[in-house]
Amino acid sequence: MKALAASVYQWMDERLGLEEALAFARHKTVPVHRHTFWYYWGGISLLFFLIQAFTGILLLVYYRPGPEAYDSVRQITYDINFGWLIRSAHSWAANLMIGAIFIHMFSVYFMKAYRKPREIGWFSGIGLLLLCMVFGFSGYLLPMDELAYFATKVGLEIPQKTPVIGPVIANLMRGGLEVSEFTVQRFFALHVVVLPALFLPLLGLHLWLVQKHGNAWPPAEEVKPAAERKTMPFFPNFLAKDLAMWLITLNVLAVCAALFPWDLGEQADALKAPPPGIHPEWYFMSSFMVIKLFQGAWGQAFAMGLFTLGLVLWTLVPLFDSTRHAGQRGKYATYFGLLVVVILAVTTIWAYYAVAAEIQQHAQGL
Amino acid sequence: MNEPAAPSEFCEDSANVAPRRAFVRVAMGGIGLCYAAAIGYPVYRYLSAPVEKAEVLAAITEVTLPEAQKLPSGSALMFKFGPFASLLIHHRDGGWSAFDAKCTHMGCTVQFEADKDRIFCACHGGTYDPKTGVNTGGPPPKPLKQYEVKVSEAGIVVSRVKTA
Amino acid sequence: MNYPFWDVPHIGSGWVIGLIAIFHVMISHFAVGGGFYLWLAERKALRENRREWLVMLRQHSKFFLVLTGVFGAASGVGIWFAIGLAHPEATSTLIHNFVFGWAIEWVFFMVELTTAAVYYYTWGRIPDRLHLKVGWVYAVASLFTLIIINGILTFMLTPGAAWLSVAGSGQEAAKFWAAFFNPTYWPSLFLRTLVCVSLAGIWALVTCSRLDGERQPALKTELVRWSAKWLLPSFLLLPLVLAWFLWQVPESQRELLKLGISTIGSGAFTQVTRISMLIALTSGTIVLVVYFLAWRSPREFTLSHALAVLLLGLIATASGEYTRETLRKPYVIGQHMYSNGVRKQWVADKYNREGYLMHSPWVSKDPALPPQMATGQAMFRGQCMSCHTRDGYRSMERLLAGRNPEAIQNLLKVLHENKENNPYRAYMPPVVGTADEIAALGAYLAAWSPAFKPPPAKPAK
Repeated sequence: MKALAASVYQWMDERLGLEEALAFARHKTVPVHRHTFWYYWGGISLLFFLIQAFTGILLLVYYRPGPEAYDSVRQITYDINFGWLIRSAHSWAANLMIGAIFIHMFSVYFMKAYRKPREIGWFSGIGLLLLCMVFGFSGYLLPMDELAYFATKVGLEIPQKTPVIGPVIANLMRGGLEVSEFTVQRFFALHVVVLPALFLPLLGLHLWLVQKHGNAWPPAEEVKPAAERKTMPFFPNFLAKDLAMWLITLNVLAVCAALFPWDLGEQADALKAPPPGIHPEWYFMSSFMVIKLFQGAWGQAFAMGLFTLGLVLWTLVPLFDSTRHAGQRGKYATYFGLLVVVILAVTTIWAYYAVAAEIQQHAQGL
Repeated sequence: MNEPAAPSEFCEDSANVAPRRAFVRVAMGGIGLCYAAAIGYPVYRYLSAPVEKAEVLAAITEVTLPEAQKLPSGSALMFKFGPFASLLIHHRDGGWSAFDAKCTHMGCTVQFEADKDRIFCACHGGTYDPKTGVNTGGPPPKPLKQYEVKVSEAGIVVSRVKTA
Repeated sequence: MNYPFWDVPHIGSGWVIGLIAIFHVMISHFAVGGGFYLWLAERKALRENRREWLVMLRQHSKFFLVLTGVFGAASGVGIWFAIGLAHPEATSTLIHNFVFGWAIEWVFFMVELTTAAVYYYTWGRIPDRLHLKVGWVYAVASLFTLIIINGILTFMLTPGAAWLSVAGSGQEAAKFWAAFFNPTYWPSLFLRTLVCVSLAGIWALVTCSRLDGERQPALKTELVRWSAKWLLPSFLLLPLVLAWFLWQVPESQRELLKLGISTIGSGAFTQVTRISMLIALTSGTIVLVVYFLAWRSPREFTLSHALAVLLLGLIATASGEYTRETLRKPYVIGQHMYSNGVRKQWVADKYNREGYLMHSPWVSKDPALPPQMATGQAMFRGQCMSCHTRDGYRSMERLLAGRNPEAIQNLLKVLHENKENNPYRAYMPPVVGTADEIAALGAYLAAWSPAFKPPPAKPAK
């Protein structure tokens, strides 16, 4: 049996060059220190993406974009065997994936793993994050229930309000002047074909870069002499632990999907008013709150400008905090990162309080 | 004797090569642009087809609502003005108003609250006057777009406000 | 209701039992498995002269004593308090049926607690072989506590035909043995023993993870790997024993597992399906997690890793107990007593003909309410609140949302007549009482939502 396996391997190796790749993998090491835990989060994000691809393809079998969208999702959720499970897994994994990506991004940031030679890894990572947000936004509309409809309607006001080119882009995205079945069909094409086609090569680049450069040492560990630094082999040690983390993650997803299966709201009706306290998913709540705070056309423009500026600065941090030995810049970068975390956390929590207050006010008949 | 910049299939002298290369580059670029336009234009029209239809629909200036005059006073009716969700209100004192139901804050659909005699937006609590559409409270920055209402025995005609 | 009703807001009295019981199972099953773990580990250490093992085992037995002696015992007694308050009707039946069973259980508890303390405090003070014997006595006493409680727990699901034939006649005690060794007794005993063995390994991994892999690499490697092996028996045998258990469960109860396959509609009782799937996934993956985290890199196995495994174990255990409980619906004692205390044999004569409240001396009517409302409220408390809270867990308000008074009365009629085509029949007891009592209940429920809030999206039939 072993001899057979060995000869098969050799046959493949002579044609695919497997030994080269494996030799590289065998040499790769992963730093071991008190922050090693954060190295797993990229892999966890990847797991969620794979789950999304798998459950997404399954949903594709029964989902019908266009005027029957709501009905097809109703069928999946309340009719087809384990349809509720596939859908709940997909919805929960979407949220957990963005959560994992945030944890991954912030841990990379604070460990300064964007420094040379890993800048492109950082840039591609930001690109992947933005693609994920668009994945989330486009996927959210697909069930065409009330929540989906109004979230998209409100969300598209942002490009709508952008001067000059805004309305044209918004109309193209909507397939009209209002969110309709044309919008669903476009978002479907975006979500299922265009975004994956952009995401996969970028993801491939991102993963290849991680393999090429390896995991970064956090600054505090980097200054230690080589003899004091511990590592573990990537293959099989880190990979084995990675797999264990994946299994734990799978269980967490299963608990979420089993205990809190994703429901379906009322069908979207253009002539109906939205339910009180309507709001986007948690990862858009920060932007939601900031836009609420700045009233008026100029206020909105200012808010959007602020966001864009923040994003640009965030993306360009490797160029700012580039030298390893200049401590000052490193400190500023860390402070900036903390500021961003605090702002995001505060505006998100505040947004939820505001929503709760609105619901309460409405219930009290104010 | 100077070497030519690169071997040329036709062995022409060096004086003509550089401008020829420049011409080819421009020509290639131009042809590329033509290809892009030839493909891009139909693709753009393809994607914006429903937008064009919606704009045609939105270009209507009036909508007739047969039987709507039977709407009881102190109540409202949602209807579509072209593609846009709109609100028709029959006030308690017998008057009528009609508005585009798109909230001027972030675009949610507003609703008429008969018991409080006001127009309310559930998204962020914005309020409007039900007769004039003026924003009276909450975040909306501008009044609702108002329509003209003509009531007859056959129905109600809602039309765009004619500018002078 | 022959007893006063205990109203626990928001979570319901059932969850008071549930939370205490799940906590208890995590510890008690550790107590049983851990007893054998300590005994076998000590025996191996003595035979193979691994004195370093004994140091760790002593530390583990201290942890063991505190956890099981304090938290295990307190939560066990806590279950008594909880069931006595939440469901005195069923508790009374269980006590009367198994008096000597309960008594013997307490004997073994006493032996268990005593030997655990002796085991820890005599480490190194008495000869090794005697100490080993103490450990063995503990393990056997602990196992017997499981052997006995298992009889009573499985009786609730499947009392068995013999006992059911004399139920209500006063002769139930004559069928003690038949009731004790009921149809699900043996598969459940094997199932729980496998869980005990696994939990012994998992809790031991917690202790072993605290060893320093750098200073004592060989010891940590040995102990972590030896503890990890304790998860193998359940991984291999659980699917078979589970299948055996399900085969012994009555068909009507097994049907509940199918309710959540094609839908998650509110009110369709889909949780049995959903939570049972969690059991399958968690117990299937926990061995792999232990393999990849503990077995492959024992020296780097940290406390955080061990706690992650423990958490998975908790999910598996909680799901298992929850599924076992909901599989029994609508009964608290299978085919005999419904979850709300109504006895099946009294439905037609006593309750429907003579009245529910007449036979419920402890259900008092609120004098502040108008008479029909007071009757309705008393009916609700007596018959519904065993499983439903008003606005919290399994919220009655949420489940009735959108129904007007006629719709509510119709629903009660369907539940009362309890015909074959009653969609709730599989998991809800019939509503019992005279026509007036049921009308009063309907009026009481209808008064909650005068605005008749529109319902959430319902599954299309």
